[in-house]
Amino acid sequence: MADALVAALGLGKVYGADIPTRALGDVTFEIAAGEFIAIVGRSGSGKSTLLNLLGLLDTPSEGTLHLRGIESNSLDKRGRAKLRNELLGFVFQYHHLLPEFSVRENILMPYLISGGPVDAAIGARVDETLKVLGLEGLGDKNANDLSGGQKQRVAIGRALMNRPAIVLADEPTGNLDTENTEAVYALFRTINEEWGTTFLIVTHDQDIASMTDRILELRDGKLVQDIRNAYAGQPVDLERSPLAGAITR
Amino acid sequence: MLPLKIAWRFLRSSLAQTLLIIAGIAVGIAVQVFIGSLITSLQGSLVQKTIGSSPHITLADPTEGQPVVYSPFMRKVLAGTKGVSAIVPVRSLNVLYSNNTDRVPLTLVGGEAGQLNLIYRLSQRTVEGNPTLKQGEIVIGTDLAKKYLLIPGDKMQVNSGSGTQVSLLITGIVDLGSSAANLRTAFVGPDLPRAQLGFRADQYSAIQVQLSDPFGSTAIATAWRGQFGGVKVSDWQVDNKDLLQALSSQSLSSYMIQVFVLVAVALGIASTLAISAVQKTKQIGILKALGMADGDTGSIFVWQSVIMGVVGTTLGVLVGFGLIAGFTFGTAKSGAGFPITPQPGFIAISITVGILVALLSAIIPTRNTARLDPIEVIQNG
Repeated sequence: MADALVAALGLGKVYGADIPTRALGDVTFEIAAGEFIAIVGRSGSGKSTLLNLLGLLDTPSEGTLHLRGIESNSLDKRGRAKLRNELLGFVFQYHHLLPEFSVRENILMPYLISGGPVDAAIGARVDETLKVLGLEGLGDKNANDLSGGQKQRVAIGRALMNRPAIVLADEPTGNLDTENTEAVYALFRTINEEWGTTFLIVTHDQDIASMTDRILELRDGKLVQDIRNAYAGQPVDLERSPLAGAITR
Repeated sequence: MLPLKIAWRFLRSSLAQTLLIIAGIAVGIAVQVFIGSLITSLQGSLVQKTIGSSPHITLADPTEGQPVVYSPFMRKVLAGTKGVSAIVPVRSLNVLYSNNTDRVPLTLVGGEAGQLNLIYRLSQRTVEGNPTLKQGEIVIGTDLAKKYLLIPGDKMQVNSGSGTQVSLLITGIVDLGSSAANLRTAFVGPDLPRAQLGFRADQYSAIQVQLSDPFGSTAIATAWRGQFGGVKVSDWQVDNKDLLQALSSQSLSSYMIQVFVLVAVALGIASTLAISAVQKTKQIGILKALGMADGDTGSIFVWQSVIMGVVGTTLGVLVGFGLIAGFTFGTAKSGAGFPITPQPGFIAISITVGILVALLSAIIPTRNTARLDPIEVIQNG
């Protein structure tokens, strides 16, 4: 467990005190650095709850969560915010850019929150990110002036700005057309392979899930499958499990 | 300084809303500065007009007509009292001015011209002639001069109570600020009243005193009553109770206006910030999700308050000065007014209170922001 980037042990979340509702229960897994993982499941299966816990946006009711060896329950609110800023990058279904800022400033925001000085090296990092995202020349535009696909790429750039160890993506292509969906997936893959960034992608999209290296499937708040995809990159239909024979547990 | 930068962008992104609230603060502070300076100057002007050219404390014999002895002890105590700006011993003589048709009672205030000037400011109040008070000379008020067509250089006959008739040369005509005084009071040198009254060199009708702070008169008068037995010590504040009551009521109403203006300003900023906090809920949630601490998201609203408070207050002070200048110009043109002097201490208080009120207004949005859960924002898109 000490070497794992993420280690969840018996993780559970119960909402409400008077009428307790269990959203997640007894979830245990480990994630190593550099993995490219999909979290799948039906609506209400606990995917977003798990992502919120992993993203330190929420605290578990049961169990423990270690991120790079740090036990999340040992941190106060400010400590969780700091670790979230340093270790994690978020990509949401909706881009959630700040309309008051330019593309460059939106990408820079997590770094500005960390309080680091904006020097030439950081400027170069933003330029590199814009280049990787195919947004060269758009840095000074207002975030509102971009297309939906471009906005989502800016959001990805923002998630990558602090060069986080883990990127948590919650239905990142839910609002995009097929072309942009493929482009986003390709981008994630490139960053995963070139920068070694770990990706956890919550998705309904079977095609996206089939192209990841590992699939965590949740059902009714339980982790029911943790499968490694030997045929990553090929289409998979989890409902009918046509690749069942090819998947190794 | 990221919270400051974000605060600035938030304010700029809702420019009309920002400008409206800045205008609200500016109007509030301008009213503060203007009303405060107006009331203070008005009161100063009233006090100056009422007692600026009359004694603040008068020492006399308890029996009217009897002289008070200006002893070396009294001289020493008066001169040694802090806050005393002028000591003028005077001898007053009641006479009758008679011309061919009329006989008018007149009070002659006798003293050295230089000393009388300290309280009565004869030189400043001269409307005609040169108010010298050598032996045989007299300075009269404007109403008397107008009524009997007297001008400097004219001689006037006065009869003392003992029947002695004296001829006096008018050297100047002064406006004492009150019609009664201008008709019934005149000034002469020290010798005539002394000779007529039969006073010794150290005997006077009254010792008149002016103070640098007129409102310090009661304490000084009380102290002197203890030191000078058998002497009547009169205090202007006791003699002008009604005026003081009016001034005090005026101050109170001025404070009330200012308090309500400040409350209105505070409510204005607080409600705008609360609306801004709601409008920017999504942005605050995102910033929190990106790792911004509660304290920093809260300080965005504090900075918004500071920016609006400082800009609004500065504009308000400038507008306040503009109003003061406009008022002074307008009333000077009509000849009916008095100059308003901007009160630096009062303006400093207005600025401090303005910014403080703006800061206090940030408390509610800051607290609401701290409670905001980023998950709600993210999941609700």
